[in-house]
Amino acid sequence: MTVEVLFNEVCGLFGDVFNAQYLEKCIPDSEFIYTALCDKPYFEDNTPDIILMGAMSEKTQRAVIKKLLPLKNRILELIDKGVVFFVTGNAFEVFTKEIDYVSEEIKTEGLGIFDLTVKTDYFNRYNGKVLGKFNGEFEITGIRSQFSFVYGNNSDGYFVKSDSGIGINPDSKFEGVRKNNFFGTHLLGPVLVQNPPLCEYIISLAGGTPRLAFEKQARSAYTQRLKEMKE
Amino acid sequence: MNIRFIIAMLAAKISKFLLKLIGKNATYLPGLIALKLDKNFLGGLSKPETLICVTGTNGKTTTSNMITDILRDNGYSVTNNGFGSNVQAGVATALLADATLTGKPKNKVAVIEVDERSSILVYKYITPDYLVATNITRDSMKRNAHAEFITFIVNSALPSTTKVFLNGDDLISSFFGKENTDRTYYGLDCEIPEREESAGVKDIVYCPICGGKLNADYIRYNHIGRYRCSECDFVSPERAYTVTAIDRENKTVTLTHNGENHILPLVNDNIVNVYNLCAVSGFLHKFGLSFEQIAASLKKTAIVKSRFDTEKIGDYSITMQLSKGQNPIATSRSINYIASIEAESKAMLFMCDDIEEKAESACWIYDCDYAPLASDNIKQVIFAGRRCKDHLLRALLAGVDESKIAICEDPADGAGLIDTSCRNVYILYQLYLVNEAKKAKAFIEKKAREEIK
Ligand SMILES: [Zn+2]
Repeated sequence: MTVEVLFNEVCGLFGDVFNAQYLEKCIPDSEFIYTALCDKPYFEDNTPDIILMGAMSEKTQRAVIKKLLPLKNRILELIDKGVVFFVTGNAFEVFTKEIDYVSEEIKTEGLGIFDLTVKTDYFNRYNGKVLGKFNGEFEITGIRSQFSFVYGNNSDGYFVKSDSGIGINPDSKFEGVRKNNFFGTHLLGPVLVQNPPLCEYIISLAGGTPRLAFEKQARSAYTQRLKEMKE
Repeated sequence: MNIRFIIAMLAAKISKFLLKLIGKNATYLPGLIALKLDKNFLGGLSKPETLICVTGTNGKTTTSNMITDILRDNGYSVTNNGFGSNVQAGVATALLADATLTGKPKNKVAVIEVDERSSILVYKYITPDYLVATNITRDSMKRNAHAEFITFIVNSALPSTTKVFLNGDDLISSFFGKENTDRTYYGLDCEIPEREESAGVKDIVYCPICGGKLNADYIRYNHIGRYRCSECDFVSPERAYTVTAIDRENKTVTLTHNGENHILPLVNDNIVNVYNLCAVSGFLHKFGLSFEQIAASLKKTAIVKSRFDTEKIGDYSITMQLSKGQNPIATSRSINYIASIEAESKAMLFMCDDIEEKAESACWIYDCDYAPLASDNIKQVIFAGRRCKDHLLRALLAGVDESKIAICEDPADGAGLIDTSCRNVYILYQLYLVNEAKKAKAFIEKKAREEIK
């Protein structure tokens, strides 16, 4: 398998880079390509099995949009082909129609792959947790911490339905986005390390055989966190 | 004089008096009361003749306290919030304590530590004459978000007339007050690391001017180091005050300014504290003290004791280190420092989990550098606290051998797990776990005393 990790040097604000580092340990025979913001993305001419991208600053978000906008059609093609995208934190906002950075008084057009818009306000940080069932199969848990909310209808393509916590905005119960095998979530950090069932799911979906690294310890920590989230 | 201000001042002074009466420290509440009654309260206070603000992610308390101590040692009457709070209410509490009812300051100089995020609420009302910045790195993700956000906050609040004294080895805080023309930089120009790449997370990767790729001459830790841009002529700023040598044996540093070397006492040899020492000494020289005055005062001062404290009993050495959880860079520095100490058989008790936060605090440990824990001279690592299973997993991913890790959910149980065959015990603790940390220390002390008998 081939995994492309996009802009790891600037898109890993809250430990998100460990999604890639953990996958490297779970699918050791795979090839990992770390593409820097100043490099040409591997996916432009090749088809990776998994593409990862993590949380970033607002300035970086604008740079990432600038970088990916010319590749919009290629990204749509990859989504249609069933390539697995797993993007955490505010990374999925890049793929919406527009981001309004109200505190910086900047409006930026996004890739427009999702018919959603984003409002980012430096003076209103939202901190919260997420607990919800993924695909009706297993529970996902984690935290979010963000300046932004996403608006529009994602009820036919979301990451998890939140049992505890909000969705893409305080009035929504649908957290994140999904289109074919593209998964975007506001969950932050090492989401795959902290959700072993999701990590297995992602690897299997991409055609790999999951053998979780430090499986016993990872599951034990996950169970503990789930228990605390439900308290 | 504004009547609202006087009422606020009176109420704050009375609350301060009542707090004192019941034996409580007035670190925050009087200021909070004053601000509730008059939200422009800070603006109503007359500014002391010289207002020095100290800010940054790490080291601001140490730096601000050292500047205060040295100024006092040289005869200045100084207002300071060193043992109080550094948010808006804490700043107000410190300033009002040393002011008359009409808001006139009793002291000529104030040295105020300002929380980076509170910049907007402080600098809007009072203009610092000087701003001393230590560094900006990622911190609590909930409160501080990311380094660019903190820079945005500071820069949108800082008055352009403030003279800035900045860490030239930090590409983030060295950009504080872009419009401010009186700028002085300090940094370290010794013990140049060989590596050009950093093991830790970096909060700046591309050129702050053109966005081009940065080449590092060297990196000390995380993004702290010296850089040049590959695409424009940007280089790390020229420093006016540099530590050019650290003599650990004689416990001195050489501070070079205008080509002349000055020998100063080394208060603590952890590199982050050498940066603080450089900031303090350089700044006070710019302020007007001579290097002789600074050196003489430094001899008397020590880092606020509760922050780093080693005690030797019999064959044992026990070190207590206050360590903010949720702050990956500060914690990484502590871990790295402990790993770098030349001693065999070290045990480390790590209790840095947040009290209120439950499952929410498991991200920061992935930004923290756990690799040094794998070093051979660290014989045991104990993670004591709610998130112990997450710490265990994180340590395993960093290559730490599971056989040397012990975990327990209740921090109070940590002491009992310490392998007493380890002669060097390090206790890293979160402020609210100070009692558990003391218990762990007492446990080793008892063991040491038994052995002496
Ligand atoms: Zn440049």
